[in-house]
Amino acid sequence: MSPSPFDLELPKTLLDRACAGDMAAFEQIYRRFERPVFSLAWRVLGNRESAQDVLHDAMLKVFQRIGQYRSDAPFWAWLRQIALNEALMRLRGSRHEWVDVDTHTLVDDTPEPSVRADAATLERALDRLPATTRSVLWLYHVEGYSHPEIAAAMGKTTSFSKSQLARGTARMRVLLDPATESVSCLIQTPQPG
Amino acid sequence: MSDPNTTTRLSLGDALRGLPLAAPDRDGWSTLAAQLTATPASRRPRRVWPLALAATILLAVFGTYKLRTPSVIVTHSVATVTPARASTPVNGEEHTHATTSTISDTTRLDALRTRSQSLERWLRQTAKSGSPLQGQDLAAATEIENLIGLVDVELSAATSAHASALWQRRVGLLEDLAVLRYSNYQLATGGKTVAANARID
Repeated sequence: MSPSPFDLELPKTLLDRACAGDMAAFEQIYRRFERPVFSLAWRVLGNRESAQDVLHDAMLKVFQRIGQYRSDAPFWAWLRQIALNEALMRLRGSRHEWVDVDTHTLVDDTPEPSVRADAATLERALDRLPATTRSVLWLYHVEGYSHPEIAAAMGKTTSFSKSQLARGTARMRVLLDPATESVSCLIQTPQPG
Repeated sequence: MSDPNTTTRLSLGDALRGLPLAAPDRDGWSTLAAQLTATPASRRPRRVWPLALAATILLAVFGTYKLRTPSVIVTHSVATVTPARASTPVNGEEHTHATTSTISDTTRLDALRTRSQSLERWLRQTAKSGSPLQGQDLAAATEIENLIGLVDVELSAATSAHASALWQRRVGLLEDLAVLRYSNYQLATGGKTVAANARID
């Protein structure tokens, strides 16, 4: 699996400068993590304006607390945790988006579908998922979180995470190939030629 | 050059990971920089700790016997290890102390993990049965969850020597969170609900 988009190595000197309150260092860190933070927030919330707010609030917390950062854990993981919590807090705030069902029966172990999709089709399908389901799908597949980690971040059970992943996968299957609703999804991805 | 008609089959995960990162619609750095300059970290007011303190006091006063997690509330004593018998030979004392210390550390770590798991279980159950937190309580809960997340990040890279302190910190934060939620939802002594940020005289 490819690494999380957050998995960016920062020079120790840059972190040291940031810990000392150097604004230029803050800006460099901001520029590097701006897109990963915004993307994560957008996938969780499904709203660009809210994602922009999360970017601001999360980065503010990061810089205000950078003195608490311990270098024995990767900086990107520390920053990502703050960004995710910030996004999930907003998701909880928008109550209608916070799916609170524990659908154990939806857990299945069928392999994930293979897909052919262009980015726009995939984006549209993601957009149509409930926010919680989309968040689980994104955290699991793109950020590489395990089910227990997702459950802990969302304050839910591992079964909840698994069932949301199964539900999201099934829904994507249908959205990407509504005609067949079969195991595979026929969508297109441009190939470098 | 790309040919949009050329397709390949990808796993759903690969397809999602292949999506480009989204860029924000506007540059937020200047706003952030202004805010950072206006409120340096060292002078930033800490809004969490008064709430956490209130939560801790509530736990001390009301919570212990009310929380329905009996196995986790009594685990402070688990770390105590039975002392060596009086008949232990003097020249065996050092060895006994070392062994006891190791057992004590392991037991303490196990106890903290158990307590952490039980608190998390209780928090999940409470979240299902109660109404969502609002306003200051929500902000405080989020702040505590943030701190728990940061401890988890540190735990993932911690040596065994530091693990115990981190687990202790995690349990402390979970207790704060438990009391915050508990006091908001279920502190119904005399039928009245008390918010965690309520003044305690």
